[in-house]
Amino acid sequence: MNAAFLEWLQNTPLAVSVGENWFPWVESAHVIALAMVAGTIFIVDTRLVGLTSRQLRFSYLSERLLPWTWGAFICAAITGSLMFIANATGYMTNTPFLIKMGLLVLAGLNMLYFQQVTFRSVANWDLGRPPQAARVAGFVSLGLWIGVIACGRWAGFV
Amino acid sequence: MHQFSDWLSATAFSQAIQVTSWAIPGIQTVHIAALATLFACALVLALRFAGRGLAAEPLHQLAARFVPAIWLLLLVLLVSGALLITAEPGRTITNPVFYLKMIMLALVAAITLWLGRAARRELERPSSLHVFAAALTIVLWAGIIVAGRFIAYVESY
Repeated sequence: MNAAFLEWLQNTPLAVSVGENWFPWVESAHVIALAMVAGTIFIVDTRLVGLTSRQLRFSYLSERLLPWTWGAFICAAITGSLMFIANATGYMTNTPFLIKMGLLVLAGLNMLYFQQVTFRSVANWDLGRPPQAARVAGFVSLGLWIGVIACGRWAGFV
Repeated sequence: MHQFSDWLSATAFSQAIQVTSWAIPGIQTVHIAALATLFACALVLALRFAGRGLAAEPLHQLAARFVPAIWLLLLVLLVSGALLITAEPGRTITNPVFYLKMIMLALVAAITLWLGRAARRELERPSSLHVFAAALTIVLWAGIIVAGRFIAYVESY
């Protein structure tokens, strides 16, 4: 990304105020939001791979939990953006941060493929053992989100 | 406490964690993944007490899965948390925010125990006190997360 733009972003009054006064609070809100995002995803994923909540219909579980995931994801994206602008030039050269963004894109693509292809036949496996494609999607999602958490934590140490 | 902290950080086990560069972020990743899952399980349980979320399932049946999951995840958090304290005792055991976090943890554990027992009695219409207590657990878990993050920002004495 353009260095002058990042520089400008970092010097906006909002970015300066986050960096100087609000960073620990924004970070705390980010952890609460990410906990809700990753936690609800883990509950859905472990159902998808056939480990938990096997007596519940998959469509029911995902339909009831995913609105919470999305609401929390919006909060995580807002708080994450606030943390990013506070040190925009630093994050753009922070390798774990860049890997984290890449993993988020992959998690999104995995979900999109699952929704558009595998989930279409949900009526056939809503209560039984999900087909292999669904289980693969669940394991991939679990791995990607653990990677997102690990890179997020690692980014803070660089 | 300072003596204990110095002794602990000088032990071979603590030293081994300190010199392994990936150990602390690695343990923190386990800690965060477990807390995320616990927070979501606590949320599902609290929502069910309020008649929302996975409301099609009877409360006692839902609690029979989610309450043990909360205890199992809490165990993972205690073990990973204990490892983090062992690695950097000076950061936590002389930090007032850490004790605030432990007080909130004791409270939320007691409330969860009580709610778990209430749910097991196959109560189908939780009282408003149960619903309030369930909402309180979410506030306390969120407070625990905030306190956990502030350990890094508040000076130890």
